[in-house]
Amino acid sequence: MQKEFKLPELGENIESADIVNVLVNEGDFIKKDQGVVEIETDKATIEVPSTIEGKITKLFVKAGDKIKVGSTIMIVEEEVAEPEKQTEAPAEQKKEEKPTEVKTEKPSESKAATAPKVSGKKEIVEFHLPDLGENIESADVVNVLVNVGDVIEKDQGIIEIETDKATIEVPSTVSGRVVEVLVKAGEKAKVGQTIIKVETSEAQEVKVAEAPKVEQKQEEKSEEVKKETPRAVTTEIRGELPALHPMELDEQPPILKGAAPAAPSVRRLAREIGVDINKVPGTGPGGRITMDDVKAFSKKLHESRTESGFTTGIKAEALPDFSKFGEIRKVEMSNIRKKTAEHLSYAWATIPHVTQFDKADITNLEKTRKELSKIVEKSGAKLTVTGILVKVIVEALKKFPQFNSSIDMEKKEIIYKNYYNIGIAVDTERGLIVPVIKDADKKSLTQISVEMNLLAEKARTKKIGLEDLQGGCFTITNLGGIGGTYFTPIVNSPEVAILGVSRSSYEPIWNGYGVFEPRLMLPLSLSYDHRIIDGADAIRFLRFIVESLEQPMKLLL
Amino acid sequence: MSEKINLTVIGGGPGGYVAAFFAADLGMNVTLVDLEKNPGGVCLYRGCIPSKALLHVAKLIHEAEQAKNWGVEFGNPKIDLDKLRNFKNNVVSKLTGGLGQIAKQRKVNFIQGRASFINSNKLKIETVDGKTIEHSFDKAIVATGSVIATIPSLNIQSKRLLNSTSALDLPEIPKSLLVVGGGYIGLELGSVYQALGTQVSVVEMLPNILPGADRDLVNFLVKRVKETFAEVMTSSKVLEMKEIDNAISVKIQDDKGNVVEKSYDYVLMSIGRKPETRGLGLENTKVTLTERGWIKVNKQMQTTDPSIYAIGDIAGEPMLAHKASHEGRVAVEAIAGHKVAFEPMAIPAVVFTDPEVAWAGLTEEEAKKQGIKYEVAKFPWAASGRAITLDRTDGVTKLIVDPETQRLLGIGICGPNAGELISEGVLAIEMGANVTDIKLTIHPHPTLSETIMDAAEVFFGQSAHYYVKPRK
Repeated sequence: MQKEFKLPELGENIESADIVNVLVNEGDFIKKDQGVVEIETDKATIEVPSTIEGKITKLFVKAGDKIKVGSTIMIVEEEVAEPEKQTEAPAEQKKEEKPTEVKTEKPSESKAATAPKVSGKKEIVEFHLPDLGENIESADVVNVLVNVGDVIEKDQGIIEIETDKATIEVPSTVSGRVVEVLVKAGEKAKVGQTIIKVETSEAQEVKVAEAPKVEQKQEEKSEEVKKETPRAVTTEIRGELPALHPMELDEQPPILKGAAPAAPSVRRLAREIGVDINKVPGTGPGGRITMDDVKAFSKKLHESRTESGFTTGIKAEALPDFSKFGEIRKVEMSNIRKKTAEHLSYAWATIPHVTQFDKADITNLEKTRKELSKIVEKSGAKLTVTGILVKVIVEALKKFPQFNSSIDMEKKEIIYKNYYNIGIAVDTERGLIVPVIKDADKKSLTQISVEMNLLAEKARTKKIGLEDLQGGCFTITNLGGIGGTYFTPIVNSPEVAILGVSRSSYEPIWNGYGVFEPRLMLPLSLSYDHRIIDGADAIRFLRFIVESLEQPMKLLL
Repeated sequence: MSEKINLTVIGGGPGGYVAAFFAADLGMNVTLVDLEKNPGGVCLYRGCIPSKALLHVAKLIHEAEQAKNWGVEFGNPKIDLDKLRNFKNNVVSKLTGGLGQIAKQRKVNFIQGRASFINSNKLKIETVDGKTIEHSFDKAIVATGSVIATIPSLNIQSKRLLNSTSALDLPEIPKSLLVVGGGYIGLELGSVYQALGTQVSVVEMLPNILPGADRDLVNFLVKRVKETFAEVMTSSKVLEMKEIDNAISVKIQDDKGNVVEKSYDYVLMSIGRKPETRGLGLENTKVTLTERGWIKVNKQMQTTDPSIYAIGDIAGEPMLAHKASHEGRVAVEAIAGHKVAFEPMAIPAVVFTDPEVAWAGLTEEEAKKQGIKYEVAKFPWAASGRAITLDRTDGVTKLIVDPETQRLLGIGICGPNAGELISEGVLAIEMGANVTDIKLTIHPHPTLSETIMDAAEVFFGQSAHYYVKPRK
């Protein structure tokens, strides 16, 4: 039975997402929970797992597409058994049922694994960096995942690259033994550039030679496929059937299908400056597009680009030519970096920040923490200061509700929240993200610790879901693991306060009885939105935290 | 361009030489390889150009004859075949020689020889003086054109069996000639021989001559051909041919299925042209072909081998010189790194018979087939002052219009000079002009070009010269 797999709900306010990577091909067998596509929303890159199982008969998306929630990603034939089981079925029937791709692929997989022995023809195939989506010409190689001599399978990751959209793994379209690796981490690779050379097993060639009639069908088929998934094309069939280059894709509909009414010179200008002529609204009679329309459209496009990145009203100063002063290296911002930059600029520019410092004597707390940690560890996580802080902050938010609010300046309203979701900033190799512990008030310290562990792990392995990143009330950012005394964190808008935690250290503290005692002091920095929180409240809030850490029993009072 | 690109163009036809010259203008190091002494290709040596020289003469003969009706009599024409042949040959050598000069001026390295690929960056060139050279390139453009299609079973060895090339050599003025294939080549060459005094018959497999062209346009030509030609056999095919004494005997199956045997002094095979990629060594490159044998290219005319481009006939239909030239420019600009694509809104096609038939953009038939909404506006030349002064009212100007936007989608013209007139329509289509634009553009009076404006007026029911019910 054919079933459609649609893009599931991604969370509040998210209607669409960019596909950064398609993890499956037509003809693949997909299991439940297997990743189908990697998508990127403004919050994070996530993998969308399949909810159905079977053979993919049709794939509607490709990397670079923007798709809406609810739109169909693929069609899966549910009742087709997996290929292993099918070997019992008569060969002819098999041929009919599914196109040859599977047929050529299967033997090559098994043979590639058990070193080639038949005296068949081997072929060295070049694997090129595939089309990465519209307007992406090159990418930074962050990691090379294969070595010379490795036997690789189709779809196995070869390199990790970073484009302006995301960090993605580029899967191989061929299987065989790697004979040459032509890129290094840190290099820039162009679309179409040879990445590796692979010695294919003879299977693919032989199969084709055996069944010349089938081959023709294959080619037709591959052409069909090409229209939709330009990446996955050709290679399955002949090892390497060279594909036409990506520019082929930038179709301008022919006049028959309602092409843009624009003069050739106007169409050329649009192409040159990267404007899709079909999207330009024409102001001339009959919607004719003029030179000025294209220019105006392009200008608007650029403006909206800078608008989406918040403008402060301050004109950007031109940068000097740094290369005059020494060697430089230019790297394009990753998407997470861009979003972080936009978000923090917005927060910094709109929120009047004040940062309040204090320190807490956690000598006793540390003793208790270490003891109790052993109990928590039975559940698979350590008890950390941050974990304890989550619990403390929940109580502080209950006591000081203005810290658990947001401001709506347009409506002149303050929105108070009766839930307690605490965000914890996590440093990942791709940038800063903030997973959220939901309903922390209803969870035990052990539960919170386990959840924090899980979320941090998910964040690092790119498995984090969007729902894990939404709905925060207050953020904790703990840099103590690295060092530092105090810092001034930026409020994670639309929240109104953030607690920065630095490294604790032993300090001589006057005990009031003529002696300096060595006490373990934890520096705390509370940044808050002065529009809603007054200075006195802020220090009261922070004192409450400090005292709760120093005397946890207070929380029970 | 920081470093000069070494570009090699294989084939010196109107695709190849335009590409080579343009590339030279853009500062590339250009080599042009062709078998002939000068650039020109089939178009200049054995196609468009020599046939037009002869068709001009044919038209003159017809007009001189027609002049009787206007009170001017010239008597029967005396034809000096050698002189006529010379005129045609001079036209060819003047043009091709001129191109050779221009190649030199542009410092294009012209090699007379045959090239085949050794790999994606190297060619083997066998020059006409017997040398074999290896030649490296950064980019190559394949512009080797097409060859005359033949039917093997009818391919008898006889000097009385002509093809489009040998027919242009005017071996003699035969008493009778059978043209096999009622396409544009057969009709053009048939018209030449008919004007020179030959009894010309045409046999066409399909139900119409000029299959694929708009019937509204072709009807005038059909009428004329039926009047002047000895016989027009449609839905008929040649089964067998053999040479007999000073003639070729032909077995023809006619539209009723009867087989008749007739003999003709000469037979002209003109069933079309086809791509020919053998001998180019494409198997040593990553170039791939379509099922029908054309080289696969993208919109930048790049083949599946990134260093090789293909243009013109070898890259697919329509097999027209002006399409090849345009593609050549696109390929060169793409090689130069410009963002360009081959995406014309309309490619004009012209049949240089008398009357001429020309069209561009969407045809009515195609609109029907694709379910595209359209409206037609036709202006018959019987209502054109200029056509009447020429005593040539056998023509029509026809516009295919998008009813919603009133944009011009296609244009077709039949009549003398239709080939010249069509360009205005092509420009209008490219510019996205609507019928009002055409109507509001002042056309000179009295000219045949006015018929385009008149047709636009017909669309609104407002033509001064041709009454149709006005649009509500």
